[in-house]
Amino acid sequence: MLVKFFATYRQISGCNQCDISGPSSVLELLEEVSRRWPAFRPLVLNEAGTEKGEDAIILVNGRHIEHLDGIRTALSEADYVALTPLVAGG
Amino acid sequence: MGKQLVVDPKKCVSCRTCELVCSFQHNEEFNPRLSNVSVFYYEKECITVPLMCMQCDEASCAAICPTGALSRNAEGVVEHNADKCIVCKMCVSACPLGNVSYSPAKRKIFKCDMCGGETMCAQYCPTGAISVVDPTDVPSKKQLAADKMMAAVEEVSA
Amino acid sequence: MAQAKGWMGTILRVNLTEGTITKEPLNMQDANDYVGARGLGTKYYCNEVDPKVEPLAPENKLIFMTGPLTGTAATSAGRYEVVSKAPLTGIIGAANSGGHFGPELKYAGYDGIIFEGKAEKPVYLLILDDQVELLDAGDLWGQGVHEVTEALEAKHGSVRVSTIGTPGERGVLFAGVMNDKNRAAGRGGMGAVMGSKNLKAVVVRGTGGVKVARPKEFMDEITKARTMLCEHPVTGEGLGALGTEILVNIVNEVGGLPLRNGRDGAYWDEADSTSGERLVDTYLVKNQGCFGCTIACGRVTKIEGRGDLDGLGEGPEYEAGWSYGAACGVTDLGAIVKANFICNEQGMDPITLGATIACAMELSEMGAIPEEDIGFPLRFGDAEAMVKLTQMTADGEGFGQILGLGSYRMAEKYGHPELSMSAKKQEMPAYDGRAIQGIGLEYATSNRGGCHVRGYMISPEVLGIPLKMDPLETEGKGALLKTFQDLTALCDSTGICLFTTFGIGLPEIAGMYREAVGSDESDEEILLKGERIWNLEKRFNIQAGVEKDTLPPRLLREALPSGPAKGKVSQLQTMLADYYAERGWTADGDPTPEKLEELNLSY
Repeated sequence: MLVKFFATYRQISGCNQCDISGPSSVLELLEEVSRRWPAFRPLVLNEAGTEKGEDAIILVNGRHIEHLDGIRTALSEADYVALTPLVAGG
Repeated sequence: MGKQLVVDPKKCVSCRTCELVCSFQHNEEFNPRLSNVSVFYYEKECITVPLMCMQCDEASCAAICPTGALSRNAEGVVEHNADKCIVCKMCVSACPLGNVSYSPAKRKIFKCDMCGGETMCAQYCPTGAISVVDPTDVPSKKQLAADKMMAAVEEVSA
Repeated sequence: MAQAKGWMGTILRVNLTEGTITKEPLNMQDANDYVGARGLGTKYYCNEVDPKVEPLAPENKLIFMTGPLTGTAATSAGRYEVVSKAPLTGIIGAANSGGHFGPELKYAGYDGIIFEGKAEKPVYLLILDDQVELLDAGDLWGQGVHEVTEALEAKHGSVRVSTIGTPGERGVLFAGVMNDKNRAAGRGGMGAVMGSKNLKAVVVRGTGGVKVARPKEFMDEITKARTMLCEHPVTGEGLGALGTEILVNIVNEVGGLPLRNGRDGAYWDEADSTSGERLVDTYLVKNQGCFGCTIACGRVTKIEGRGDLDGLGEGPEYEAGWSYGAACGVTDLGAIVKANFICNEQGMDPITLGATIACAMELSEMGAIPEEDIGFPLRFGDAEAMVKLTQMTADGEGFGQILGLGSYRMAEKYGHPELSMSAKKQEMPAYDGRAIQGIGLEYATSNRGGCHVRGYMISPEVLGIPLKMDPLETEGKGALLKTFQDLTALCDSTGICLFTTFGIGLPEIAGMYREAVGSDESDEEILLKGERIWNLEKRFNIQAGVEKDTLPPRLLREALPSGPAKGKVSQLQTMLADYYAERGWTADGDPTPEKLEELNLSY
């Protein structure tokens, strides 16, 4: 599936987006991302590794996971996911 | 020997918080023109320089003061004693960096006194452009340069 | 006179017709009831001006007002407000700006300035502490913001300058008042009001200070609030490093970035070409802070090696990055930065101008504007034409004169007012009210027309600050928007920057306010002042003859064609009913006599 990185997360991933196949839930994807780039681990997951990190925004097909099934939201290869730290503007 | 204020213009974002907290600490009012630190913005170069008394070892202000109102304390800070000061303003002329000031409104001489150790400008600077260092520590810039050299050597020998 | 703490205690009244300048004591009752800046400026304005006044007539007044926290070490407390009836909308206009001008005005000894009448010839106001005079501005008339600022600095030394460019002189309906060169009281056309009075600039040097009522407690409050801002991921790191333009990708990701005047929905596969990440990699030189600001979101930007586009300046912010980017379908970030430079150098609101050019592009593509009116073919995505039209508007040249009317009057002239993406004739900014329902409600109900900074619903709906709400749902939006609007009115009126509210809230704002002015009011009593300000503005608008709260038909009827909000339109009517109920207003959106009574606002 397509995984996009925004803001400072791009400095960690070293790319704007990449293809990651395998994970069947958001949790599995965050674990995979943390495996590939260990610097993501404390950002995208909480300490216990059971919930998303407090300051991470995660969208599946443009929807915040808060409004889906949270970290247990199921993923298929056709989905696209965006990972971004909390940012603001206006 | 006491602590030393150092400035890093690259980190300064021109917010002038230092001027605010300095003037408040010494006058109980927010008034940049009574601040012992001043911020200078160079628009075309996109660089901002905060400047305050560097507590010179050879302090011209103290040397020229006719009444001994300016003297170095145990912390190495050149202090201004208003009780002894006759406001002749010789110190203002003598300081090669312009870091001793005269306020016509308050009719007084003022300069950085390191806030008696509380150094408000450094404490409140949001970016670390003003910081306090212990001169007996290894200077952080030197350490950084050493780090860079180490990394370069490592790369070459790898 | 005794100086009230937080306040300087004096208002300058400048009658431009007579050439007289008087100093009068600050109305402390109103200062207490309406906080300062936006609230107090509006109160003075409503006390003195007929709501039916023609905005560009000499009978209109123009007010510059600071807040009790302006010029102190409170969080980002460098703001002042420019208040008048807005020529773009015909309702209350209050435009807020940072930089260093507002604090300097207080250091000179004044909380605000009321300009009346119209000078016979161009003048500027010079304030050197007690010495205040009107001077001839004949040689400055016809010059841009940067030139005027530099000339006045060269002439008067260490001063702060607030000025208008040539669009303000000519009555461009969205001309802004610019201070410290690139800081803008941007929206609604405050610069056109200033120009209509033949007032070119206000120049200030102040050598006094601002005192607060309880110094020790005040320092405790500001230290707490500053620490919270420094430790918050947005205000402590994100905004400074990445600027506001960083929002492009995430807003697009939720399908809320209006594309090509909203005609093509709100999801753009080329959004990243105009993103904040891209800006950091390309044109950003450094970030810059306004007065006393820990956030430092300002962008110092430079274009090199692009020929005519080359320049040095500030911005763009997210809104201008959108109006000149996605709204016009333009992917050339250099052209976007340049168009924003022109707006700053000449004092124009880039949200309105970019959105007006986008509207012209749509009208042109559908054949509603004849090519001979514009002078060249105009289509979405044409970066060169976009920059050229921006310059033509700045110079009042050809079709630029039509663009200077804003999108509503332009679209009306060509028979399609419904294609102006505006609310109450002011262009809506960079979020689509179909994909993000609550921001649509904000556009419809904002007291100054299409505007995001009266109640920034993007915080809860997209960013999750202070709680996460579903952008596609309507429930609870009315109630939260009311609270946001009241809190924002309070925040603006104290003299601190709205961006602080990403990291601090009512307890901190109320805390700093209390210690500065020496109040013992509760947080709730202080927030009530925000609600009073909102209702005062609303009452003025009704008396001025405001249009009803609505959105362009496109948002109400044209479903989004793609993206995560595909198929959605704005559920405005549902949200409006909730919102009016929360406000204690009638079902038609009028404040009830009981509500006005409760707020001490009865007629």
